[in-house]
Amino acid sequence: MDPNTPTPPASETAHDLEESLYAVRQKIQPRAVHGWFANWRLALVLLTQLVYYGLPWLRWDGHQAVLFDLAARKFYIFGLTLWPQDFIWLTGLLVISALSLFLFTAVAGRLWCGYACPQTVYTEIFMWIEELTEGGHLARKKLDSSPWNIEKARKRGLKHLLWFLIAFWTGFTFVGYFTPITLLGKELATFSTGGWETFWVFFYAFATWGNAGFMREQVCKYMCPYARFQSVMFDSDTLTVTYDTSRGEPRGPRSRKADYKALGLGDCVDCGICVQVCPTGIDIRRGLQYECIGCAACIDGCNQVMEKMGYPKGLIRYTTENVVKGKYSDSGILGHVFRPRVLVYGAILLAVIGAFLITLANRVPLRLEVIRDRLTLSRTTDEGRLENLYTLQILNMENQRHRYRISVSGADDIRIVVDDKNLQAGPQETVQVPIRLQVDPASLKGPSTPILIKVQAEENPKLTREAKSSFLRR
Amino acid sequence: MLQRLITILWPPFLIAGVADALFFTLFDPLQLLYQQEPVFGSRLAAYTVGFFLFWLLGIGSSALTCYFQRGADEINHCPLPPSQRPPGCPKREGCADCQ
Repeated sequence: MDPNTPTPPASETAHDLEESLYAVRQKIQPRAVHGWFANWRLALVLLTQLVYYGLPWLRWDGHQAVLFDLAARKFYIFGLTLWPQDFIWLTGLLVISALSLFLFTAVAGRLWCGYACPQTVYTEIFMWIEELTEGGHLARKKLDSSPWNIEKARKRGLKHLLWFLIAFWTGFTFVGYFTPITLLGKELATFSTGGWETFWVFFYAFATWGNAGFMREQVCKYMCPYARFQSVMFDSDTLTVTYDTSRGEPRGPRSRKADYKALGLGDCVDCGICVQVCPTGIDIRRGLQYECIGCAACIDGCNQVMEKMGYPKGLIRYTTENVVKGKYSDSGILGHVFRPRVLVYGAILLAVIGAFLITLANRVPLRLEVIRDRLTLSRTTDEGRLENLYTLQILNMENQRHRYRISVSGADDIRIVVDDKNLQAGPQETVQVPIRLQVDPASLKGPSTPILIKVQAEENPKLTREAKSSFLRR
Repeated sequence: MLQRLITILWPPFLIAGVADALFFTLFDPLQLLYQQEPVFGSRLAAYTVGFFLFWLLGIGSSALTCYFQRGADEINHCPLPPSQRPPGCPKREGCADCQ
């Protein structure tokens, strides 16, 4: 298509309309774009995928460095082992991620969407494959409307084969975060993966294939919750992809040599490149729209045209609403970053990160539960003392063996009898310890006396847990 | 119709993921008993079945929301005979005496 004709003729448009999953939409075949922001996206696609595909293979201290071992109910994050009881810290991590997203959004709009969101990243990868197998955006449009023949089947088949391989590897890696990946790999090599793992590998692969191959921008437009509420974080000083209306209008085609200012034209040559490269198919010249994922493809596209025309770059650029309104110039953007909204988001984020780190540093990797013997409430020993029976459940959450000391308080002259003299728990082991507590009946004031049982590691006094229970007279 | 289907399926999918994670953080599936028998053979089975159960519950709720959201026009009988209904009206399609 000639770049001077941004929209296809009406008959072609009608032909291209397809009943998509959400609404009647024109299938978007974005034109590939090159430039500064496209390079950034490429770098981030590579970086995020290096992390995603590589992380499960990393070893740490004899185990998979990052493993959310669902079957064993233990989460390994490098040196840290989290149990279901430590759920609060995982929640903390999620809260920190969400607040970081708010902060970035307030400063520079949808950075996440444009560069790092898996939806963007996999769509980008899938579009590379599309470009590789089916050609540029015009060739793809032609292929879309051409009848089925061997050539079309070959191109489409190759595309789907490559898509499937990537989707499958993505699904495999995903499951590798939840079940040890080396084991899963060995099972895969011998076609002996467990039923549930197989199901999730294919489920995730299917989701990747569908989202990155077919749904694409519709996921952002109709399914993503963040896209709907991100405008709450925006204000007039937020950096967004913006078309400079005052510079660009009135738009119109012109010869490169023409004195367009004398013709009464603005800088926009109305070539439609910004629309052609847009993955969500919008026209940024109509202003900020919720469909815009901030990928800056239109900036790259427009800058190329501006360069060819010999005009200054930046007709479409990252800028703020207040700059466009003329309240300050582009050089003043940095000075407006530190405004109350950003400072408040930043302060909350720092506070949460601080609380997260402090509580994590003071986490006691030891759990204690006291279970009363339900069959024998109370009995009298030969010495005439009252005796109650309990079972202690001691959970050692650390990766080394510990020996423990037990003490009890709550009544005068309360004695503790532990049959097991060598009380210890191995790495990540739960031990059941039956104990007997003996009290002089004369010192008991009521039928039930609250007591406090304390377990302390012998070599590390900080490793201490207490649990409440009660001593019954009969 | 497809759009309505996705509206019914997608929000419960998100919620099911959260609900599944929360529920099985609190309860170890191997300790869930029904008449003194463990309900699940393996934890992975429990998480998967749990996820789809939560999803199914959400789907039921979303479907009812969609169902009750229908306006009076969609429920009432159309006063016009099918052939006189405006073009594009869904109740016009499939009528016997339309061209």
